[in-house]
Amino acid sequence: MTAPLLELRQLAVSFATDDGTVRAVDGIDLALQRGRTLGLVGESGCGKSVTSLAIMGLLPPDHSRVSGEVRFEGRDLLKETPRTLRDLRGARLAMIFQEPMTSLNPAFTIGNQIVEAIRRHSDASPAEARAKAIEMLRLVRIPSPEKRVDDYPHKLSGGQRQRVMIAMALACGPDLLIADEPTTALDVTIQAQILDLMRGLRRDTGTAIILITHDLGVVAEMADDVAVMYAGQIVERADVKELFARPEHPYTVGLLGSIPKLDRRRERLPSIEGRVPDMSRPPQGCRFADRCPFVEPTCRAAVPALTEVAPGHLSRCRRAPLSGLLS
Amino acid sequence: MALRLIRAATPWRAPMTLLQVKGLVKHFPVTGGLFGRTSGQVRAVDGVDFEVGEGETLALVGESGCGKSTVGRLALRLIEPTAGSVRFEGEDLLALDAAAMRARRRRLQVIFQDPYASLNPRMTVGAMLGEPLKLHHLVGGESQRRARVAELLELVGLRPDHARRYPHEFSGGQRQRIAIARALAVEPRLIVADEPVSALDVSIQAQVINLMRALQKRFGLAYIFISHDLAVVKHIADRIAVMYLGRIVETASTDALFAEPRHPYTRALLSAVPLPDPTLVRDRALLEGDIPSAMSPPSGCRFHTRCPHARESCRRDDPPLVSDAQGHATACPWWPEFPPAPAVARASAEDQDRIRLDRLQAAFVSKEEA
Repeated sequence: MTAPLLELRQLAVSFATDDGTVRAVDGIDLALQRGRTLGLVGESGCGKSVTSLAIMGLLPPDHSRVSGEVRFEGRDLLKETPRTLRDLRGARLAMIFQEPMTSLNPAFTIGNQIVEAIRRHSDASPAEARAKAIEMLRLVRIPSPEKRVDDYPHKLSGGQRQRVMIAMALACGPDLLIADEPTTALDVTIQAQILDLMRGLRRDTGTAIILITHDLGVVAEMADDVAVMYAGQIVERADVKELFARPEHPYTVGLLGSIPKLDRRRERLPSIEGRVPDMSRPPQGCRFADRCPFVEPTCRAAVPALTEVAPGHLSRCRRAPLSGLLS
Repeated sequence: MALRLIRAATPWRAPMTLLQVKGLVKHFPVTGGLFGRTSGQVRAVDGVDFEVGEGETLALVGESGCGKSTVGRLALRLIEPTAGSVRFEGEDLLALDAAAMRARRRRLQVIFQDPYASLNPRMTVGAMLGEPLKLHHLVGGESQRRARVAELLELVGLRPDHARRYPHEFSGGQRQRIAIARALAVEPRLIVADEPVSALDVSIQAQVINLMRALQKRFGLAYIFISHDLAVVKHIADRIAVMYLGRIVETASTDALFAEPRHPYTRALLSAVPLPDPTLVRDRALLEGDIPSAMSPPSGCRFHTRCPHARESCRRDDPPLVSDAQGHATACPWWPEFPPAPAVARASAEDQDRIRLDRLQAAFVSKEEA
């Protein structure tokens, strides 16, 4: 296997708050190969977005503490200067967010904003950059791009704005795209268009993608591999088909059960009772213990390690493989 | 034997009608400019008819701007319609004066999407639940009120001592439970729930859906469940009305709608839903373009600008919602000519994996009941 494009080693992020230190991300190990799509899944507050901001170097230095390693092509981004990071961001690493309106500047035309991104990272002349911007808008299937390039963001629909964000993110041909809930704010027919677009672009450009989402349907459609996060930690990691067919962490089992499905109707949805632990006082043992139907006393003694339970399939559960519980 | 056959053939009878909406229209004026002149109309709801029976759940589904939330507000008379009628328990709600309408509100309640915005941050939960009891003279004295508040909290899975706390002390799912308790306080017949679980995480969403179904069974409540999420709707609704640009384009029992979606928009909506099964290979019909503006909806069939089956007459003729004998109504005259919709989903996991997962998930159900 070749060296991974991105490798996280014991990545941890903590924030100082009035209630004490909150460990939002607590020891993430992860590797992503070129051209692959990793789905990072979990519910509000599990640390998935903070992980992505840490990779991009976008956390406020005054309020957060980041430790561990973020290795991009072997070099640790946490040790790079802000200037180097600025050069990498946009050129090699790009990010799109959930709400495109807050990421686009309302005072500039979309063309201006894409041109700025292109010229920041290349020697293109203004005319060349504009031509490239129009080409990118065509690529993301904005109708009549040579006209729309001079539009302001407010003239575009939500779906079109997200297309513009994707055009901007991909303008410099990044190796890694982090997409943080890219379709969550969109209607389902528009979401289907955007996912289809992302699949096409991935095929054509070979960009690796970290797709952050709470939507297991989106993950099933887009990801090659999945990492499930709970309370700041990865609790399960596997190939997408393996994870959905044979989940090995109780949280993943519960999560898959709680989604209402189109192909079956149950009298009661299996739901996960209770709520996530307070991250300023995380429990000593397994963080899912209080909500887990399979909990036993040893689970509360220490945080279980992320261990391989089947080839390429990791679970942070002392009771895995779970089939043993069904005798 | 013969007798049994006759019994089996007895047609399904609709439950008693609780709410009946006819010809409902709501146009919002668009004002602008120096003198605030009206420059146009947003035709948010443009001719909607439906009924909700006792103890039944009708889901209104559709994408942003289709008018589903406006219909919910009109049904409660929180806003006044431009035209049409709303009859509740046989009585014309639009003819009532303010005082009479207030009294009727006891029977008609609402739950909103955002429990952060719909609960008063300065009131304790106990005060919030006690207020409607006082307002509608449902309890005698202080001790009776306290007992009823405790009972309501227990009904929605909270503890009586939660009455002393403020909304900010609760999580999103718990706040939605409080909103449900407040709606239940006045013993309503119908609750309009506008995207009640959309802001919640999936594991919490399942808790609230389960709660709403349990309460419905216990009190015979009827729901108008407004949602953009077809999978959620499948779990809670008896009947579904699909809306597009201010109109209902298809309505049917939940089973019929998912088994045989007829309107091209319903089919597109179903095929756009991402399914949590990576082994599925789907042949989906992607819709082109965006939803047109409700200020100037397309002529003829409103869906013709995005419809893969549109033909010349669709630009011209506005298709009526036509029902078959089973009550499956479609606002498209061409549907019998379309090829059958591809199956929405297929059981694809290996049987043994599926059985294993079902058995593991069963442990979550029993933990919940414990």
